[in-house]
Amino acid sequence: MTSLTIIARVADGLPLAASIQEDEQSGRDLQLYQSQAKQLCRKLNAQSPDRCTLEAGDMNFHYLIAKGVCYLFLCEASFPKKMVFAYLEDLHSEFYDQYGRRVPTVTRPYSFIEFDTYIQKTKKSYIDSRSRRNLGSINTELQDVQRIMVANIEEVLQRGESLSALDTKASNLSGLSKKYRSDAKYLNTRSAYAKVAAVSVFFITLIIYVRFWWL
Amino acid sequence: MLFESGGITENLDGFDQLSWQGGWINASRPDTGEKATLGPSQNPVGLQQLPGVSYGMTHQPTYNPMQAKAPAPPGTGLYPSGPYQPVHPVSSYQPGPPLSSYPAPSGQALLTRPLMGGPPSHTPPQSASPGPRLPPAQATPPPPAVSSSSYYPNPRQPQPMAPAWHYNTAPPPMGQPTSMSIPPRGPVPNHVNPAASSTPSSTPYSSAPPAHVPHSVTQPPGPGMPPTSLHGYTQPGPAPPPMTHMAPHTYQPSRAPYGPPPTGPPPTMKPTPPPTGTLMPNATPPPPKADAQCGGAVNSTLPPTEPDCQEGDIECPGTVAGNGPQAPNSYNHVDNKMAGLPQPGPPGRHLGHYPSLPPGYQNTSALHNAGPPMHPAMQAATQPYTQPPQTYQQPPGGPGPAQLSQSLAALSLQSSTPESLRVVNLLQERNLLPPNPMPAPTPCLPQDLQKINCNPEVFRSTLTSIPQTQSLLNKAKMPLGLLLHPFKDLSQLPVVTSSTIVRCRSCRTYINPFVNFLDQRRWKCNLCYRVNDVPEEFMYNPVSRSYGEPHKRPEVQNATIEFIAPSEYMLRPPQPAVYLFILDVSHNAVETGYLNVFCQSLLDNINALPGDSRTKVGFITFDSTIHFYNLQEGLSQPQMLIVSDIEDIFLPTPDSLLVNLNECKELVQDLLKSLPNLFEKTMETQSALGSALQAAFKLLSPTGGRMSIFQTQLPNLGVGALQSREDPNQRASAKDIQHLSPATDFYKKLALDCSGQQVAVDLFLLSSQYCDLASLGCISRYSAGSVYYYPSYHHQHNPAQVECFQKDLKRYLTRKIGFEAVMRIRCTKGLSIHTFHGNFFVRSTDLLSLPNVNPDAGFAVQMSIEENLDDMQVVSFQAALLYTSSKGERRIRVHTLCLPVVNSLADIFAGADVQAITGLLACMAVDRSATASLSDARDAMTNAAIDSLTSYRQSVLTIQQPGLLAPACLRLFPLFILALLKQKAFRTGTSTRLDDRLFAMCQLKYQPLVYALLMIHPALYRVDDLTDEGALNINDRTIPQPRVLQLSVEKLSREAAFLMDAGTVMYLWIGRNCHPNFLTQVLGVPNYAAVPDNLYLLPELDTAESQRTRAFIGWLRDQRPFFPSLHVIRDESQLKPTFMQNMIEDRTESALSYYEFLLHLQQQISK
Repeated sequence: MTSLTIIARVADGLPLAASIQEDEQSGRDLQLYQSQAKQLCRKLNAQSPDRCTLEAGDMNFHYLIAKGVCYLFLCEASFPKKMVFAYLEDLHSEFYDQYGRRVPTVTRPYSFIEFDTYIQKTKKSYIDSRSRRNLGSINTELQDVQRIMVANIEEVLQRGESLSALDTKASNLSGLSKKYRSDAKYLNTRSAYAKVAAVSVFFITLIIYVRFWWL
Repeated sequence: MLFESGGITENLDGFDQLSWQGGWINASRPDTGEKATLGPSQNPVGLQQLPGVSYGMTHQPTYNPMQAKAPAPPGTGLYPSGPYQPVHPVSSYQPGPPLSSYPAPSGQALLTRPLMGGPPSHTPPQSASPGPRLPPAQATPPPPAVSSSSYYPNPRQPQPMAPAWHYNTAPPPMGQPTSMSIPPRGPVPNHVNPAASSTPSSTPYSSAPPAHVPHSVTQPPGPGMPPTSLHGYTQPGPAPPPMTHMAPHTYQPSRAPYGPPPTGPPPTMKPTPPPTGTLMPNATPPPPKADAQCGGAVNSTLPPTEPDCQEGDIECPGTVAGNGPQAPNSYNHVDNKMAGLPQPGPPGRHLGHYPSLPPGYQNTSALHNAGPPMHPAMQAATQPYTQPPQTYQQPPGGPGPAQLSQSLAALSLQSSTPESLRVVNLLQERNLLPPNPMPAPTPCLPQDLQKINCNPEVFRSTLTSIPQTQSLLNKAKMPLGLLLHPFKDLSQLPVVTSSTIVRCRSCRTYINPFVNFLDQRRWKCNLCYRVNDVPEEFMYNPVSRSYGEPHKRPEVQNATIEFIAPSEYMLRPPQPAVYLFILDVSHNAVETGYLNVFCQSLLDNINALPGDSRTKVGFITFDSTIHFYNLQEGLSQPQMLIVSDIEDIFLPTPDSLLVNLNECKELVQDLLKSLPNLFEKTMETQSALGSALQAAFKLLSPTGGRMSIFQTQLPNLGVGALQSREDPNQRASAKDIQHLSPATDFYKKLALDCSGQQVAVDLFLLSSQYCDLASLGCISRYSAGSVYYYPSYHHQHNPAQVECFQKDLKRYLTRKIGFEAVMRIRCTKGLSIHTFHGNFFVRSTDLLSLPNVNPDAGFAVQMSIEENLDDMQVVSFQAALLYTSSKGERRIRVHTLCLPVVNSLADIFAGADVQAITGLLACMAVDRSATASLSDARDAMTNAAIDSLTSYRQSVLTIQQPGLLAPACLRLFPLFILALLKQKAFRTGTSTRLDDRLFAMCQLKYQPLVYALLMIHPALYRVDDLTDEGALNINDRTIPQPRVLQLSVEKLSREAAFLMDAGTVMYLWIGRNCHPNFLTQVLGVPNYAAVPDNLYLLPELDTAESQRTRAFIGWLRDQRPFFPSLHVIRDESQLKPTFMQNMIEDRTESALSYYEFLLHLQQQISK
């Protein structure tokens, strides 16, 4: 089955390690999922919920954020959620042990790509249906998994975009209102001039009238 | 017109990108009169084809000597295959008036050479010593001899005057004063002529020097050099009595100066005033400007004057030996002085010279002028333009200057004439080879740019001065292209890590040392000229920890740099290093015994495989079935899985065939230990290579990686099966060679699939029979792999091959490797790249897809000029290689090369890089052979030489003189072309196995230039008299540096031992009468007869001689990434014919000698 695991730093979305497994049928889509995963890593921040499941067609993204590191896993939607989070917890504990301290300092993407080996092995043990049974007991404590927020990947990825769209609209609006204001000022002035002119013409006419006809 | 196919097309069917552009070469049959040109690609097809004479001359293979215009030595006539007929030429020659044009080569000369086969004619500086090899020093024959000994004896002396005159361009008429007065060349009337005329006092003298000069050949004076035979000229038997006498004198003087190694830095201007009054006058009229200019390295014979230091200077400070227009005069002076000098050296050395003048003149001159030693000046003058002395080793002696003057006159350039433009008459100058490996020419750039320019070993252009327009390039008729070695192992490579890589926003060029900073905040791209902002981050310099100096950043200080790529440069996480080995285990393979060597090598180097903890390995073996090996962790021993359904191949267990090397190392080692025994008894003779490859592709496609195939026979089962196409009887055919292109596109298609999945396929072919490398090679060619070929490999019968295989395998397994790479080459707007050579797939017009890149891969590209480069001083080229290191880092290696733009033909010729041109022509010829035919390719190469020399003669030389004239920088061009024609890849008439030929072709395209050049023109050294003189000292080892000898039997001597270095193989030839000292001290045998037949290893004896020899050979080997095997051969050895085939300058049954080839060229040119 196709799966994708990415470990990234939350602060700037820098990927730290990854593991990809594809089968022959889904190879084409994987590129799409990869780029979605990358975007997602960049969107996440400290305010994001710790655990979340995002639906993307017949695949689901699951992520877990712990100690400033995001563990993202893509798998088929039918795959049990509690198993996923047990797997991500497992990755977290091992990754934190091995590289936790160096996470904030690295600048190169995929600095800990060698963690791939561990990811693959762990994943195999979770995915393999035979060994899955053995893990069942361990995972009962994760019942609260049900409460994990579910959202749609598109919404998450576009959330930022709609905000920025709003922002553009607002700035457009303020630009327009400024323009309106200046236009209004201009019109006001013009009408004021016109009034003054009319009044002055009237008075001049009056004066002339008085001057020549009355006197 | 130009490139119909100009762009690189990427259509799946065609992949024409690899083919020569249509316009490029039009080869045609000789009979039709059309010509095949390798010329500049841009030439419109139409032009070339139209008249037979597209370039002004048609190439006719068959030459009729009689017809030949005057001077042309007839011998050449039958160039292609015809036997040489000396007789005719001679007879016709002498009588003929042509002399005027062609003084030097006399009929006799011709005769002698070809006939002799050799030695005598060439080497001996003096006729006196006919012996094949004269030790250089000794060589110096008695002075008189010298004159007489001419390389090409002058039959007709009487004429000398006139001819000489022309010839040399040098003003001084040979014989007679009168002639002198005549200004030889229009353009530079002042200089030369006046001088000549003015010097009345000593008629002989004045005249003499000039005449003399021109003739003199520039030969490296080095002791090593046997005296060039050229001298002989003057001395034609009949006339010269007085002369001979005199001659010696002259030479001596000149020699003396030479004596010192020419290489030495050019003495900077040595303005020694010309002693002789007569001289002065000459010089005076035109101030010698040029000389002074360039940096002072000028020979200022004319002390005072240098009023104008105008041009040139800037560009080539220091380096240049300026030769002002006036140069001639000055040279004369020099000459004279030289003559005057005392000469220590034996006259013979001088070789260079062949006096066209009657000896008398020469003598006189010598006598008269005994001046202060000018030689420094001379040397300066002679020095190569841009380069340090060694480059063109010309012999500084008198001849040098003369020639310079000649060229100067001819060029009538106002600016200094670069050394590289010195006119060389190839027919007369014999010792053109530099004594040491030739460095690349340096582009004529301001010093501050040149200082940071890209290393020529990495990035090199065929023309170091780029023509301003396409029409100019077409006129020059030289190919324009780049040769790259982008992933070369570098000892020092700055690596930059930064979150943003600064690139031009429109053309995506990486910032480099040749951009302009408009101010602190903006930079102008040097490729597209867009103005870009400098990002804030770039303002900080991590090296100096300072702020606000963007131009001090390492990116702007280094032409070669590597960036750690941010994640935008990754489509997917960096792949692990994955190695899959596919081994042939059929009966034939087991017979060769290669499995043992392979398994042992891999066991030895398993920890040195590049990679990290993710590295994966896998093995597949095949005969008529495919065997997989399950190496999953936890198994107690490897499991073999056999798939016999080769029509529809599948993977038995997808997960456990490629395993993590670290975790499963023991299983892997077990497998390697047992593998050779597993198939010991196999009787399976069939080979289903195609299916094995398909299986391997399935296995690797999810990750990408490297596939190494070891194949020992023609695949004959299942998909991709091939038939034998070689007819052994046709191996020596002079007709066209068939089957140079693939028989099936299966391998190409598979290679493209591999390329798409980042899989590269390397092919090791160990075979004694025909394996159809033409078809099999495609698998590597399009997937950016490499091909290794070990003909007649056998573990017992061919120990040299075994050693070679072992060493190659070691290098192969442990060398650096880059995965999922792409390379893009960008160039300044106006230039465009249209054809690529090497192993790769062109993914989009300029993007090369390289599933793997290794440090031993070279690339070449051809370029054209699409828009005029009008207002540009310089153009730049940038090659960016993006790859994933074996440690999982994504990196970008960027090389930037900057070259000047010129608008005159002379400057283009001055910047020609003959080695690079040869390399590029070889690549083009390989393509040509595949798309058209071998004979087309051969014709095209010959025409390339003819065209460029014709163009030089017609456009650059203003005075037409007889002889085959070439600028000094192209003086080796005909030799290299001839070498190519005689190279395994292109030769005809000599028995060559098809696979050998195709392998040679692969190598020519794939090897970096330095190695390819050795394959084309091997280096010959005399090694029985190695000394520490001039030796290199590396890591406390002393490495002797014998000089490179010409590839001619005449250089061999029975009393000596010679080492021939042909790149991938070395031969140590032991002369029959070799000094016993060498035999005992180096070979460890008591006498010649005791030298074993199959000696391929020098015993490690504790003697100085042995140490020197081994140090030298070891040093040669260390310089290249592959392992050249060494064969010690005697006269009786089987390999002797192979050795002798490399004697390129000699005539063989089916090919011309060098001299004949020159005559052929000359005849074509003067047509």
